[in-house]
Amino acid sequence: MMSSAQIEIQLIASLAAIACAIPGTFLVLRKMAMISDAISHSILPGIVIGFFITHDLNSPLLILLAAATGIITVILVEYIQKTGLVKEDTAIGLVFPALFSIGVILIAKNANDVHLDVDAVLLGELAFAPFDRFIISDIDLGPKSLWVIGSILIVTIGLLFAFFKELKVSTFDAGLAASLGFSPAIMHYGLMSIASVTTVGAFDAVGAILVVALMIAPAATAYLLTNNLKRMLLYAIGFGVFCAISGYWVAHWLDASIAGSITTMLGIIFLLVYLFAPNKGIIAVLYREKQQRTEVSLLTFLLHLKNHNEEEERHVNHLNEHINWQKVRSKTVLELALKNNMIVVDNNIVSLTEKGNDFTSQAIDYIITNEDAEIEHMKDDFFLFRG
Amino acid sequence: MDFLEYIRLVFTDYTLRTITLGTAILGAVTGMLGSFAVLRKQSLLGDAISHAALPGIAIAFLITGTKDSNVLLLGALISGLIGTFWIRGIITKTHLKSDTALGLILSLFFGFGMLLLTFIQKQPNANQAGLDKYLFGQAATLLESDVWMMATVTGICLIILLLFWKEFKMLLFDADFTKTLGFNTKAIDILITSFIVLAIVLGLQTVGVVLMSAMLLAPAAAARQWTNSLGKMVFLAAIFGALSGVFGTAVSATQNNLSTGPVIVIIASVFVLVSFVFSPSRGLLFKQIRFIKNRRDLKLNKTLAFMYGIAETHENISHPHTVKILNNFQGFTKGTLQKLVHKNYVTLEGNMWSLTKKGFQAASNLYNQQNDDE
Repeated sequence: MMSSAQIEIQLIASLAAIACAIPGTFLVLRKMAMISDAISHSILPGIVIGFFITHDLNSPLLILLAAATGIITVILVEYIQKTGLVKEDTAIGLVFPALFSIGVILIAKNANDVHLDVDAVLLGELAFAPFDRFIISDIDLGPKSLWVIGSILIVTIGLLFAFFKELKVSTFDAGLAASLGFSPAIMHYGLMSIASVTTVGAFDAVGAILVVALMIAPAATAYLLTNNLKRMLLYAIGFGVFCAISGYWVAHWLDASIAGSITTMLGIIFLLVYLFAPNKGIIAVLYREKQQRTEVSLLTFLLHLKNHNEEEERHVNHLNEHINWQKVRSKTVLELALKNNMIVVDNNIVSLTEKGNDFTSQAIDYIITNEDAEIEHMKDDFFLFRG
Repeated sequence: MDFLEYIRLVFTDYTLRTITLGTAILGAVTGMLGSFAVLRKQSLLGDAISHAALPGIAIAFLITGTKDSNVLLLGALISGLIGTFWIRGIITKTHLKSDTALGLILSLFFGFGMLLLTFIQKQPNANQAGLDKYLFGQAATLLESDVWMMATVTGICLIILLLFWKEFKMLLFDADFTKTLGFNTKAIDILITSFIVLAIVLGLQTVGVVLMSAMLLAPAAAARQWTNSLGKMVFLAAIFGALSGVFGTAVSATQNNLSTGPVIVIIASVFVLVSFVFSPSRGLLFKQIRFIKNRRDLKLNKTLAFMYGIAETHENISHPHTVKILNNFQGFTKGTLQKLVHKNYVTLEGNMWSLTKKGFQAASNLYNQQNDDE
């Protein structure tokens, strides 16, 4: 049996996963994934200062203050980048360690007043989340983190539905979005604000690093499986929730950090998809590259045949040494050409068939003009071997 | 502790001497290699690698059970290299972009590392205390042997840099050209990347996983502002890095409860800030001053051109006109008029101005040639 604390932890982790996956998808698509890493570090001074004022990690004021630090980070990075003194990635790399260091030093200098542990900031204290209850006039309404992350999630989903079209257009075609009258700046800072608030809201439960993992990993994994934005969002949410729950049980089993094991689950899922995803997975890519190499070889071979009418140039043995391929490769190419009726082998003399001849001339046409349209219709014509 | 006493202690106290020397060497080597990272637009690679090194440390501890820093750093090196090459694999083989790849490896490896660290902490018989110093760095735990190790690696780095200086430089600025000359660009690339990883791993004990990337970037970004020559930049970055190390150690040693890492990073950031603002050629301050000066010159020329336009219509170019007619012209201020008088272009008499010969000459040539009287 699961205790209610266990259910609550899994619920918080799952909600955090969903709340992170939504902005994360857009960050990955907009090539701004590292910004989430920067935000997750640089909110630390905001949290510390907020904590001095409120003495409560779950207070809305603290969340707003910390989220403001996140926005400041983004603005600072953009300002430095605009000066042209350094490149964008250097700007990110300079800003967040500085802010994070200020946070760490603030904590160290006020260790007596601040019961904040830097390890806890990085890692979160998901296991303790159920103990901090939200109580109004003696009625227990559940853990505070659940309320915090739940409200953030509701706002995020509301904004997602309200501005889905605008977000989509501005993500894929900023110019078009601007010409349609959606300010790219508003979209940009809106997304950054959501990312900041989510980071702050989730950090208490799952820690700064896991927030980054929850934002980037599910979205990246989903991106390897689909090009459709809606599906990508759904997949990302699915991966996030699955890893949140399975990660909890791994941590339970190993008696280790929950945040750490959720991240590890995310890593395992990503690795699997990275290796085995159809079309975009590593194995599929390598296989396709090999096939393309064979296709190019075949073309070279056919061109050679077309260029040489002399029989001795077209003798199998001669071909073998002339094009300088290894035996296996030559055999593959030869068989492929035979199978596609491109050539006939008569008495060890290879000659092009009419079809092969035709194909080769078209291929030359394609190589000369280099227009994609030509090769597309060629593939149909000759039933090429792909797929 | 006052300043002089601190200086005395640096030379007499074993611990303080070791730490100061260690952080100085570390700053120098990361500054040196960081220059390449910054110029190769791999600034955030350092961040990813340093995080990716964490599971290596934990696994090395789990396998060997020792806390010997050389063994742990070897683990860190291996896992950092795996992280680096995985990032490369993601970027080259899939359509995920470099920022996503970096963020992925960074967070996933770090999370896995934390899982292992907490797992180790729960082991009953493990003498695990001290592994988490790799998070934020504790320069106080540096031993003389660690410093020797750093010095050796720095020496090797320096030799390799000098040996392959030409290749590194060429790859940095024109990779295609290097390839056409027949150099093995892949090998050079791997060599420099491996050394960057090595430098990062060396710093983990002192600065920590989280802030190591700043050690790599900040001195290089600061040095970049002062020079356009690669050699000078590498040299300056090494100096900046070493100074950050020394000052950072000094500050954190004199205060209670301060990890070295954050302090060194803050000092390095101050170097960056100062360089951004005060660098003579690229700095924001001088850029602004140049901007204002150019605008003033432009205004002055505008006024002169306007005066020329009026004077042209008269037979006597020095025919006096009232100052009033200049007022509705944008470029005119009292200052510019004074400046024109000062340059002997214009003479003032009461409320009347008149163009001198010299001024007329200058104005007629205003758009024909560069003003080289500056």
